[in-house]
Order: sequence, then C-alpha cells, then structure tokens
Amino acid sequence: MKPNKVNEIMDKVESFPSIPGVAAKLMALLDNPDSSAEQIEKALKYDAGLTANILKLSNSAYFCMMSKIGSVKQAVVVLGFKKLKQLVLTSCVGSLLNKQVLGYDLQMGELWRHSIAVSVAAEALVAELEIPDSEDILTAALLHDVGKVVMGEFVQKDMEEIWSAASKGISFEAAEEMVLGMNHAAIGASILKNWSFPKHIVDAVRWHHNPEDAPEHSVIIDIVHVANILSLMIGIGLGSEGLNYQLIPSVTERLGLSTSNLESVASRTLQAVNELSGLIECG
Amino acid sequence: MRHVVVVADMIIGAKNDLVVTHALGSCLGLMVYDPVAKIGGLLHAMLPLSKINKQKAKENPFMFVDTGVPVLFKGIYAAGGQKQRLIVKAAGCGNPLGKNEMFKIGQRNYTLLKKLLWKNGVLLESEDVGGTNSRTVYFDLSSGTVKISSCGKESLL
Repeated sequence: MKPNKVNEIMDKVESFPSIPGVAAKLMALLDNPDSSAEQIEKALKYDAGLTANILKLSNSAYFCMMSKIGSVKQAVVVLGFKKLKQLVLTSCVGSLLNKQVLGYDLQMGELWRHSIAVSVAAEALVAELEIPDSEDILTAALLHDVGKVVMGEFVQKDMEEIWSAASKGISFEAAEEMVLGMNHAAIGASILKNWSFPKHIVDAVRWHHNPEDAPEHSVIIDIVHVANILSLMIGIGLGSEGLNYQLIPSVTERLGLSTSNLESVASRTLQAVNELSGLIECG
Repeated sequence: MRHVVVVADMIIGAKNDLVVTHALGSCLGLMVYDPVAKIGGLLHAMLPLSKINKQKAKENPFMFVDTGVPVLFKGIYAAGGQKQRLIVKAAGCGNPLGKNEMFKIGQRNYTLLKKLLWKNGVLLESEDVGGTNSRTVYFDLSSGTVKISSCGKESLL
C-alpha cells in the first residue's frame, strides 16, 4: 500500500466536478411530493439540453408511451416524479461518465454505455424478482463506476503491478487496493458522499464488488453487484481487466435468482442499452 | 474493408475483408472460413439457448448460440462455402471469478457450441476460450488468419 497515493487520489476526488446545479435543484424538487409541475418546468426552463433529453427519453421506445409527450409539464404528469428524477439524473451524469477512461482501457462512450447497461439490467432484475421501490437501485446502478473516472490514471501508472497482483487469483478491485491503497468502488462512494447522496446509495456504490463486506446486507447492493457482472459478461464496458471480478454466491441466494432469471435479463438488456445510449446527448 | 460485429450480430464477408469483434466476455466468438472460396463469417452470440426469450430469438437469432450457429453455417454455404473445407475457430466464453454455476454463461455457450458442432460432424480447428480475459478478434478473410488481442497481447489462433 502506498499512503502517498491515497492522498493523491483523494485530492482528485475533492476536485471532481460537483453534480450540476440544475440537477441538484430538480432532484430536490422531485423528492418533494408537494412540488408542482410548474415548479419543475420553471427549474428546467433555462436548460434547453436537459429539457430536450427528457423529452427524447420520454418518447423513446424504451418507455412505450401511447401518446407523444410534447412538454415538460406533460412529461411530469405521464412519467411521474420518480421516473422523471431518474431521467434528470441520467441526463446530467452523462457528461461525467461519457469519456475515455485510461487504465481500464475503456474507449470513449464505453463507461457511459456500461453505466446505462447496469441500470437497465438492474431494472430488469427488479422486475424479474418483483422487488418494490426500485428507484434508488437504479441511481446506484447508474453511478456505481463513477470512481473509475478518477482511478483510471492511477491504474494506468501502476498497471503492471496491479496486473501482477490480479494474476495471482485475486479480483481486480482487490489488486487495486493492494497496490494503490484504494479501489474504484471506494472512490466512487467518496464522490457520491461529496454530492450529498443518501447513505444507502453511497453504500451500494462502495460495496458493489464486495457485498459481504458491507456493514449490512441490502437489496440495492446485491442487485448492483449482479447487474454489474452481468453487463461485463455481455461485453458492455468490459475493460482491460476483463471478468476479473468475483461473483459472490450468497448474493444470488439472498435474491432468489435463478439461471433463467439471469439469462432472461441479459437478453432484454442489450437492445435497451443501444436505444438509450444513442438518445442521450451529453453536454 | 473493415467490418465490426457487435454483440448479438454476424457478418459474412469475402477476400479483402477484415472482420473485427470487440470485448468478448462470456459471449462466444465463432469464426468459420473456407480457404478455397476465400469467404468467412464471424458470429458474436451472447447466450446459449433461445428458449429463454423466443421473441428476441425471432427478431435476432444471433443473440443465441443455438439459433446463431446454424444461420452462420447456412450463410457460408449460400455464399459458396463447402462443409468439408471449412476451418472453424472459437474464442471468448469467459467466466467471472468464483464458483457460482449460474454465472457460467460462457461455459454454457461453449458446451452448447461443441454439442452443435459434434452433431453436425464439424470439429474446432483451434480455440481460445474460458478464463477471465476480455478478447478482441481480428479475422482476416484474405488469409483466414484469426488474431486475438487480450490484455495488451496479441496471438494467432
């Protein structure tokens, strides 16, 4: 472990961009059931890009709306606050995640596609397993790898050492921790903590590779764990570290997941990812 | 010309084509080549059996090994390939770490491929399958050469 590296990484975490002001404002509005459609429309008024993305997403095949949604107000009514919050978040974090990531050797757009894939796979798992209140699961799924954006350059510099550790049979995030003193999940959690995200979402990002090490088990962590590995298996966001991650058997037991659940989710994820990642323009 | 085969897709090409598929994790990459006709095809299939989602299999047979492999061979025959000349190679079919059988989609893809080939009297010439590595395949249809790039290293299959 290199303590000076940890400090260097944490400095980068501190200077990582904050979530855009309009997004923070909208998320707060959408968290409050007393907010009105007018208030939301007003908050969005000056962000043409975000408004365009919300309308495009609302009208995408993915949401299967019967009639065309032409205004933000209509989107609020038809989609509801929870879904709209998800769209706002997806649209706003796109610019942070839609970049090339060194170290993991992810080309431009791949981390973004992976983030969407894990979110789509998580949504399909939630439906398959009939889990209620899934909104926070999707948020955690979308942001689970945000730490890679910071970690990439450090992984790149110490790639050989990390690989030599990983080749001895330990998983990649454990090798990161061994060489750099931290792994990308811990860094992602620090970023979300700085963004004042709720603890259970921060925890899901923190423990997405190691659900057994979390202070308490949670369905959010378990779903993100499975959705992440499944997305990598089908090659979406599969970086230089490959499938060098550990699938924790107790997670599938807790979720009551079956092979057919898993393969069915995989078959539904791909097309939705292609549809959604092409729709969202990242500023 | 360079063609990229995405996940759940297939391309059949001829001389002067380079067919590439990126990031094979648990998916199967299957390369079939006729050295006399100089034609070949590459399938990138995701899951073993189409019965899991018959609707999707109807829309896109290349998502599944059991529906994609026959379409690849039929396409090769239609383009002038002959069964006795075909050189068949496989790549991918990796699995994450851990002993969870459920997540061994790669292993199931490979087992089903072998079964299909055996039933039809076709043998694999070579393979680079299993493990945790991500693999990218470059299939040169002028020579039939299959190059695998994985972890920054290249090798011929």
